[in-house]
Amino acid sequence: MPKLRAAAISYLNTWPLTVGLEGSRRIEVVKAVPSGCATMLENGEVDLALVPVGALAGKDYEIVPGLAIGCDGPVQTVLLVGEQSPVVWDEVFLDTASRTSVILSRIILDDMGVRPRYTPMPSEEGVAKAVGTKGALVIGDRAFDVRKNQVLDLGREWSRLTGLPFLFAVWAARPGVLRPEDVHELMRAAAHGLGVRTELAQRFARERGGDPERYRRYLTQRIRYAVGPYELQGVEAFLAKAAEKGFLPPTKLRFADDHLRTVRTRRKVSLETALQKGADGERLDADEAELLDEKAPILELGLAADLRRRALHGDGVVTYIVSRNVNYTNVCTTACHFCAFYRPRGHAEAYVLGRDELARKIDETVALGGIEILLQGGLHPDLGIEWYEELFRWVKARWPMINLHALSPEEIWHIARTSELELGATIERLVASGLDSIPGGGAEVLDDEVRRRIAPLKCSTDEWLTVMQAAHEKGLRSTATLMFGVGEEARHRVNHLVRLRELQDRTSGFTAFICWPFQSMNTRLTPSDTSAHAYLRTNALSRLVLDNVPNVQASWVTMGGGVAQAALHMGCNDFGSVMIEENVVSAAGTTFQMDAEEVERHIRDAGFHPARRNMKYERLMASAGAAG
Amino acid sequence: MPISALAHRALERDGLGPIRDKVLAGTRITDSDALRLLEAADLAAVGALANHVREARHGDLAFYNRNVHLNPTNVCVATCKFCSFARPDDKAASDGYTMSVDEAVEKVLSRRPLGITEVHMVAGLHPTLPWDYYTELLRRIRAAWPELTIKAFTAIEIHYWAQRYGKTYAQVLTELRDAGMDTMPGGGAEIFAPRVRRKICDDKATADEWLEIHRTAHRLGIRTNSTMLYGHIERLDERVDHMRRLRELQDETGGFQVFIPLAFHPEHNMIGKAFPKPTGYDALRTLAVARLYLDNFDHVKAYWVSLGERLAQAALAFGVDDLDGTVLEERIYHMAGATVPQALSERTLHELIRAAGRVPAERDSHYRILKVHDTPAPVAAHA
Repeated sequence: MPKLRAAAISYLNTWPLTVGLEGSRRIEVVKAVPSGCATMLENGEVDLALVPVGALAGKDYEIVPGLAIGCDGPVQTVLLVGEQSPVVWDEVFLDTASRTSVILSRIILDDMGVRPRYTPMPSEEGVAKAVGTKGALVIGDRAFDVRKNQVLDLGREWSRLTGLPFLFAVWAARPGVLRPEDVHELMRAAAHGLGVRTELAQRFARERGGDPERYRRYLTQRIRYAVGPYELQGVEAFLAKAAEKGFLPPTKLRFADDHLRTVRTRRKVSLETALQKGADGERLDADEAELLDEKAPILELGLAADLRRRALHGDGVVTYIVSRNVNYTNVCTTACHFCAFYRPRGHAEAYVLGRDELARKIDETVALGGIEILLQGGLHPDLGIEWYEELFRWVKARWPMINLHALSPEEIWHIARTSELELGATIERLVASGLDSIPGGGAEVLDDEVRRRIAPLKCSTDEWLTVMQAAHEKGLRSTATLMFGVGEEARHRVNHLVRLRELQDRTSGFTAFICWPFQSMNTRLTPSDTSAHAYLRTNALSRLVLDNVPNVQASWVTMGGGVAQAALHMGCNDFGSVMIEENVVSAAGTTFQMDAEEVERHIRDAGFHPARRNMKYERLMASAGAAG
Repeated sequence: MPISALAHRALERDGLGPIRDKVLAGTRITDSDALRLLEAADLAAVGALANHVREARHGDLAFYNRNVHLNPTNVCVATCKFCSFARPDDKAASDGYTMSVDEAVEKVLSRRPLGITEVHMVAGLHPTLPWDYYTELLRRIRAAWPELTIKAFTAIEIHYWAQRYGKTYAQVLTELRDAGMDTMPGGGAEIFAPRVRRKICDDKATADEWLEIHRTAHRLGIRTNSTMLYGHIERLDERVDHMRRLRELQDETGGFQVFIPLAFHPEHNMIGKAFPKPTGYDALRTLAVARLYLDNFDHVKAYWVSLGERLAQAALAFGVDDLDGTVLEERIYHMAGATVPQALSERTLHELIRAAGRVPAERDSHYRILKVHDTPAPVAAHA
């Protein structure tokens, strides 16, 4: 089969997307400048290209979802330069290598009330001529070396103007040529390239001179490679502004669909046998679990799961914890399609919690009888391990009794990468500074087919499990989660459960499992079945498959108290936490609230005895007056 | 289809074997059986039994209709302590209101493009409106929209008007029917037990009066619905007593179309200060036990406005076969703190029903099937 030809820019910021394609059997890379990429794609010389977003206008290209070269805030390599302030410029030389930045320059200057003459010119010449009342646009690696009195970073200016990230280039293909395998190949290459950014920076410095650390920061903190809702808003705002000002024809973006399937041949199994095995606590294999997921009536799953719950927690006690969910930052570079919580770094609503606010939140938690802080946040590109270590030490010094249930595997992975540390060493340092246990968030669906589609830049299934294994081996306990309803199928959910069960066999480090449906408000991912039925079924199935995980938690936060009570009769033995604060799910539209009294009322009313627990699921005390 | 091995195992374990045997044999269960089931605290097992009865009657069909609500006035002389809707007057200073006949008729007619089949009309006990107001309202709607089913006025209103205008129940009902009323909602039943009624709604029709009005309606050929407002001060045995009286009247007349347990909502009313909202577990067991106890009722409804869409959908596995309808512009529960939408589109109802593994069946007000949506074809997005 002939390889696809892909045109890509040779700039440093492109390397992470292309280095993994060296030696690829599907895709061959041809180097060009941005405007050249666009032309080659237009002329049919290549099948796909990393094209400037400005070149998408008026075309019906299919865009590869999830990946791009962009920024939120300063970008360093797309600059308008000159000797005097832009407000006096009467002529600007536009880098002929650029398409998008040319339009971006005009939008930014237009907005400043500057309307110079624009003259295309190669940037070397343009920069040299940018004296007096002349300015010049310079893009790409050349911009690293520009020294001028006046420098306007177009990434920063765009962020100031709109509060949105900017995308410079995306992978786009002629309609119909991209197959799902090709999309996966691009994703695979990106995942590889993003993991070796430090090495790429060193290589670039060797080839070209300059400070490798500066290039590393550029690749890890300036350039963004993920595309989520805000990034798309950024592109759409750019295209809309350009169209409004008559620079580009109006454009609607089209994305290549990703529907690769790898179907396992299934053994024929009987529904009744599978249910009976599950109810009796025998281990279900993947075929049986998949059949149950697809075919078992809800109450049959519920009755079987209830038998398992009775076998494991026969005293009718349902536990809960008083904990507070604190999200230390909403800045995140991953830009998952299902997330309504994250903001790009330059966004007006972006935050990193300060110590005062954190202290207030923890004090309130303690006052309410809380014993745990669940601390999670986005993948902030500027926060290294020292920031976390200081934070944890500060928390532990001021509130020694508070348990720190913090940092999902994704965050730990991110900290390790940002700080250039080994995973084991990262965990050891975090534990030494006060980390007590880790939450199982970010698992979403542990199946790479699904992950690539909904969160291309999130860590892979193997990486997630690797972090959990390393944490368990260092003596930490963690929970595990599943977010269903993102368009996955039964086989994906079953893969998820089976992978968790395999790791649990090795480490016994998971204390509990929690599932919930995807909450879709304010996100652009279309949910599949996220109904109460789907929840109760998935929950019951999880109780049956995860025969080695001791506790299963009902998610009243997403489903409401009533459905969570039903879940207590279908496999769950824990009612989660009293809700003092939660941001991520509520950003996507769900707003159930309960205090301790209300949690206990729900547990009692459903026929169980409430008991508070700590995060190791040890009971603290049985509440008085429990009714049968 | 017989109940499953797992259900048998659970029912035996909980000592519910004898009740199960009655249900499977089609024998009526007793009041103490119903109480035992309410107290059983084994939701999945009781649910499986209720589901057996539900599927024997209706297979996988789950019913809904396309309806709108109209509350022509919220002015009410009664002082029910669970109510957040009523206002003492409609003077400028209060948020009480009374629509003119023109306004009310126009409001109903404006819904015509939505393809609805029923208007559900309930009002407060207004102290000064003339009798003509009600008959005129019915007559005008009937004339302007002959094929629309008018489900109107609770027994509480009928009782109040009989007193106020010096008519018998039969006279009131006959005049309303002649003016256009097709069927009656089941509201105002609350809890029949006198102990409870004295405390929460002392000044409105008694249980005997409520039942007598429905009996009269049934005799006149008017079919009606029935309700129970649960989750406030009543005891479980008082819920069973309530259902017993309904079951007895149904034996006598066969005029009830459906039983609808209504969850008490606590905001902005007297009782809510002392009692929280009943939990979803309570809703599910109440619906399941109603399905098992009310063996002479065709339908048990989970009113989604009262339960929320999630719980109402879950209820389809616990004996429920009806979710009510699109319910454009619900006011009474919303004034008591309901946070559900004021309407659901037909598409959303279909999605909820299908995701529960059931088949959506649009019905009319008398539970005649209008269309079974057994192929998931896209429906026009109403509302």
